[in-house]
Amino acid sequence: MSEERETRLFMISPDSMLTPDQLVRMVHAMGMEATVKETCYGCLVEGPSKLVREILAAVREKYPYEVFSKVRAYPCGDPRRCRAQHGTRPGFAQLEAEWAALPLIEHGLKCSDEGKKYKAHEEEKQLPLDDFKKICEASR
Amino acid sequence: MTIKIAQLSCGTEYSSVQYEIDKAARSVGAKVVYPDVSFEDINEAVKRFGFNPRSPQLKLMIARAIKLADKKYDADAVFITSCFRCAEAALVRNELRRFIQENTNLPVVTYSFTERLKAAQLLTRMEALVTIVTKKDLLARERQTGLTAGLDSGSSTTKAVIMQNNKIIGKDWTSTGDVVKSAQQVLENAMKEAGVEFKQIEALGTTGYGRFNLGKFYNAKLVQEELTVNSKGAVWLADRQRGEATILDIGGMDNKAITVRNGVPDNFTMGGICAGASGRFLEMTAKRLKIEIEELGKLADKGDWRNAKMNSYCSVFGIQDLVTGLGEGKSFEDVAAAACHSVAEQVYEQQLQEIDVRHPIIQVGGTSLISGLVKAVGEVLGERPIVPPNSQYIGAVGGALLSSGLL
Amino acid sequence: MKVFIDPPNSMILYDLVERFGHEPLSAMAAIQNKIDNIEVDMPPMNVTLDDVIRGLKYAGVEVPSGIRGRLAMWGPLIEQADAAVIMIDAPFSFGCVGCERSNEMVKYLIKRRGIPTVTVYYPKNEEEAETVVGQVKEFLEGLK
Repeated sequence: MSEERETRLFMISPDSMLTPDQLVRMVHAMGMEATVKETCYGCLVEGPSKLVREILAAVREKYPYEVFSKVRAYPCGDPRRCRAQHGTRPGFAQLEAEWAALPLIEHGLKCSDEGKKYKAHEEEKQLPLDDFKKICEASR
Repeated sequence: MTIKIAQLSCGTEYSSVQYEIDKAARSVGAKVVYPDVSFEDINEAVKRFGFNPRSPQLKLMIARAIKLADKKYDADAVFITSCFRCAEAALVRNELRRFIQENTNLPVVTYSFTERLKAAQLLTRMEALVTIVTKKDLLARERQTGLTAGLDSGSSTTKAVIMQNNKIIGKDWTSTGDVVKSAQQVLENAMKEAGVEFKQIEALGTTGYGRFNLGKFYNAKLVQEELTVNSKGAVWLADRQRGEATILDIGGMDNKAITVRNGVPDNFTMGGICAGASGRFLEMTAKRLKIEIEELGKLADKGDWRNAKMNSYCSVFGIQDLVTGLGEGKSFEDVAAAACHSVAEQVYEQQLQEIDVRHPIIQVGGTSLISGLVKAVGEVLGERPIVPPNSQYIGAVGGALLSSGLL
Repeated sequence: MKVFIDPPNSMILYDLVERFGHEPLSAMAAIQNKIDNIEVDMPPMNVTLDDVIRGLKYAGVEVPSGIRGRLAMWGPLIEQADAAVIMIDAPFSFGCVGCERSNEMVKYLIKRRGIPTVTVYYPKNEEEAETVVGQVKEFLEGLK
């Protein structure tokens, strides 16, 4: 990861009452030398890596369950990625789907912090062929 | 006006070819756009389309195609492209091509690329797309009117045709030397045959490698890439202006295969793969056997390639096999048939795999006069190609036909 | 520790790995390295021709270029990873990870390296989400 530039997206979970505007104001209030751009899902923050990480830590502390974040490869407003230039890039729909799943993750994080035990994943087994055969034969 | 070309693709951004695609579009006054789709659109689109590929990006391609079909996204043309050698993408690419053609009026071309993308081929496709959008009325023309001429300045031969009231009244060809002088010569002879003078000709169209040069020299009304011009010429000559067809041109140096729908091209492949898959291989064989090339075709008609099997497609080792076969007492007929079969098989294996072969197959170009080769192509493809009269003049006929639309 | 995430551009996995104290190895970082260090007049989308050729290390020339280009990006990340978090059955793994064959190969490369790996299933409900977060947290906190 480049130490020079870090572009990071902050995404607000859809069931949160927090608005992108409030999030942007919170980041601005930190008075850091970083670019903050409000978006429909939250905001983009761009600046030297060290500063952006400080902002991330502050956002995580204030909104531990409702704001999620990852880095972005392309800088803010890069025409190669910009939706206004030629329509959405392939990753757009993925991000949209991840956004929709955030309330579930939020729930998982809360339960985990409360020390709740989770159930191990059970794979759904297919009906054994012999059993299926019996059912077919029975319904003949 | 900037033409908006909707790109439906998989793999371009990870094959280092997206930049070339954008560049080719820009150079012909177009812009690449991506129809906007949401996550929900993708699920619904795949269900509606009925083909559920495993690769997510192909699902996205389907959703984008449906946006275009539903007229929820505004574009002028469609470019469908995916990685060469990906079976799943090849299936989706072709079915989406068909879907777009059945559900929209948008011109579409398809392309399968490798990281060594052939920029010239890409550019020809983009140029053809833009031509189809901007000259739609012209390409719809199915009859030639007035007195017009077409000049096809190819890499190995130059052809001229004079047409009047939808008939060819004069024609000539020569091997290409100096682009202008060769054209002057064939045009002169074609006019002589037609009994007309240059000043009587109402419009002239040029195509082929030398098209810009000749267009300038003759102040031509039409200067056009060969993809659209050859397609029009071939379907006119074969009287197949409606429906689908594949136009196959095995050239002296390179080969072209164009798929068309209602006379408008939607995909083509051009190469350049190996001398063993060209007319040159047959020339070399004829020379080595000390017979004329025309004779080779006729001999091949009577022979059976199975009796003189070759171990190589190569123009060195393959011909060696043939000569060895003759030494072992194999007949000239069988050896000639083997040479033709070798070219046909290699064209099929190396080149026609890149496109979806549609029927009928119209075989054109100088090599379509070698009957043994046409027979071999028919055997390999399971259907004897149609060879229209004057099949070597497709480009010139297309030029004369289309330029008459500009009168 | 360096933790490879699969899908390599997932925001949820990136967030979780970072949240639980490790460094995620992601598609975004790999692509940023390319775009920040390239001459301006030839902006690539994600990969360069040289990358695709370097992809021959992971798959032969008969494999489509898009797969080799992807593997050239994720392959080196997998090689430097100390651990991996894989999410399967995700409904959203298109886009930057749009090729299913590449996805399969990436999982195989992780397996072949033999690094500690946790595989979680995309959650369909709250109970399953507890499992996803719980498993990932336990795995990441257990990494020394």
